Amino acid sequence: MSNEVRFPVLSSDQASEGLVATWFVADGESVKTGQLIAEVQVDKVSAEVQAPTAGVIRIIAGAQATVKQEALIAVIE
Amino acid sequence: MTVTEKEASPAIRRLTTSKAMVEGIAQEMERDPSVFVLGEDVGAYGGIFSSTTGLLERFGPSRVMDTPISETAFIGLATGAATEGMRPIVELMFVDFFGVAMDQIYNHMAKIHFESGGNVKVPLVLMTAVGGGYSDGAQHSQCLWGTFAHLPGMKVVVPSSPADAKGLMIAAIRDDNPVVYMFHKGIMGLPWMAPNPRALAPVPEEAYEVPIGSAAVVRQGNDVTIATLSLSVHHSLDVAEELSAEGIECEVIDLRTLVPLDRATILSSVAKTGRLLVVDEDYQSFGLSGELAAIVTETDPRLLKAPFLRVAVPDVPIPYSRPLEYAVLPTKTRIAAAVRKLVG
Amino acid sequence: MDQKIKIELYRTMVLIRSFEEAILRDYHADKKPAWDIGAGLIPGEMHLSAGQEPVAAGICANLSSGDGITATHRPHHLAIAHGVSLKALAAEIFGRETGLGKGRGGHMHLFDPASHFSCSGIIAEGYPPALGQAFAFKWKKTPNVIVAVTGEGAANQGAFHESLNLAALWKLPVVFVVEDNDWAISVPRQASTAIASNAERAAAYGIPGERIEDNNVEAIWRSAKTAIDRARSGEGPSLLEIHTVRLWGHFEGDAQAYRDDLDAARAHDPLPAYEAQLIGEGFLDAAQAEAIKEESAAEVEAALSFAKASPLPDAADALRYVFA
Repeated sequence: MSNEVRFPVLSSDQASEGLVATWFVADGESVKTGQLIAEVQVDKVSAEVQAPTAGVIRIIAGAQATVKQEALIAVIE
Repeated sequence: MTVTEKEASPAIRRLTTSKAMVEGIAQEMERDPSVFVLGEDVGAYGGIFSSTTGLLERFGPSRVMDTPISETAFIGLATGAATEGMRPIVELMFVDFFGVAMDQIYNHMAKIHFESGGNVKVPLVLMTAVGGGYSDGAQHSQCLWGTFAHLPGMKVVVPSSPADAKGLMIAAIRDDNPVVYMFHKGIMGLPWMAPNPRALAPVPEEAYEVPIGSAAVVRQGNDVTIATLSLSVHHSLDVAEELSAEGIECEVIDLRTLVPLDRATILSSVAKTGRLLVVDEDYQSFGLSGELAAIVTETDPRLLKAPFLRVAVPDVPIPYSRPLEYAVLPTKTRIAAAVRKLVG
Repeated sequence: MDQKIKIELYRTMVLIRSFEEAILRDYHADKKPAWDIGAGLIPGEMHLSAGQEPVAAGICANLSSGDGITATHRPHHLAIAHGVSLKALAAEIFGRETGLGKGRGGHMHLFDPASHFSCSGIIAEGYPPALGQAFAFKWKKTPNVIVAVTGEGAANQGAFHESLNLAALWKLPVVFVVEDNDWAISVPRQASTAIASNAERAAAYGIPGERIEDNNVEAIWRSAKTAIDRARSGEGPSLLEIHTVRLWGHFEGDAQAYRDDLDAARAHDPLPAYEAQLIGEGFLDAAQAEAIKEESAAEVEAALSFAKASPLPDAADALRYVFA
């Protein structure tokens, strides 16, 4: 299982930037596989992000950061 | 690097207010098969303000039902089902829409228990979105909790935090009375509204109740009591932190429930501070702020060292245009000015 | 139908679409990437009418000076087709002092007494005031009519049925119109309504009822003419249900994940269809169509420029206009 958490593709327009709306976990916390960790948004479409694996989360793109779709927003160590 | 090499913080489960509400509803639906949800756009859409997200997928269309735009019919249906032993949760999309169905609410839902001499119970939750601040105009921005609290026979709860949103929802579902559950759009933690850091907070995973009728002192202080509710709790806490740097210590009371009102918590705080500011996003006159002033003066007018003050909507419909809307909403600027006046 | 009417219907539809596309552009322009409904030059809920232009064009082409309309939370197409000032409409949407309601009302609360136009954000609640306007027209002995418009979801509200009965009983000069765009926000009509056509409900009140399919502007024009003529001649109300299409979301911000008919809806865009029809019939050529689009766009941009250049209301005036 990948330990990368990437911004999901929510818009077919690759140029669209996304917003990391909410982190439900804090940097350095331990997370369980499948745990709700973030809510993200492109324009008016939002989506939940679950932890792909268990471990300690290191947040790369903080709340309210804008990033490209598929960008790395966290890793789980 | 492995987990054991780093010292991981213990997982603290946080939720936004909307997700906490939904979790409370889902846990009660798991526990009690008589609980069901109905209203406009509560199914596939998941509630316009995400108050029912995922419930249709989890519990199916026999327990989570979209209704026609027929509020009289479906709120009346909830009342009837409640009198037959079910526990409906019925959503009125915006509280502003109550006018089309008010008879079913205040003459039926709220009076049946009394009129039956206590023989009939109406255990339902009427949940509804309230509040402005995003230019939705005069018919989609009101709070109106004072209207519901004025009319006898309904409990009225108004949470401000994720944990209270869940606990009050569970308490409301389990209560044997009709409970009007009012959630401000600005406290829900919705990604498509202005970010509100206080809309995300730790929420216990298990089912629990926050008792209806119990206010919370969410900040201690000796100088001024700010009695408030809903989104205005967030604003009042921000102001209290700001004024603390100037040496003014506010005690902030989150009322959480309007009916029944926790008078003891208000009175003991006012007895300590001697100054009372009510911050209320509802209309100013004939409502909550006047009621709190009355409670203090009918108990002991000598409790107050300074004249009572209130920051509310000054009896004008909520304007659309932003500078007008923010002139009438209880903003942090207005709250801070009122506190300074009280201690000045 | 003569060419002049056909071109006018087309021109009205183009003007409406041009306006809605410009509002759509400006509404979203400053809401990226954090899509905050309360932010930007145009904040708040925005219900746009793309796809429903034939309803407005077909009805309003039959109205005369002094006739009125009550519309819904999705009102722009009807306001424009009825001749409400584009500048004052745009200025209201931008919350400016020069707007129809001086920025107090917003896009769901448009009032233009000069053209007897109003709308409401509450479902079906535009019907009852229409009765009173019709009552006043009768009392003043003016030959005017009022068209009360609502959506198919509203036909399940008490106000809808109460209004039909009272208007029929008192033979009021009202034409009731139901815009059936298939969706009450996320609820499809078959999940909300026990019968296939709301026009059948007219029979319950002893008035004529007709359902018009295919969002066809000329069919709408003809049926509206019959109903408006009937009301104007003192024979009382009629009910028209028009099957139209909602091309965009219920409101801007609606991701429409519940909707499986989006491709089909786009394929039923009434504007290219009517343009192709008129070109095929020889009433319009591509150059004329282009000229109409350019004129409309220029008029719309002038209105939006006026709006953006207009002052915002003064916060010190926030308590004005509560009482006369």
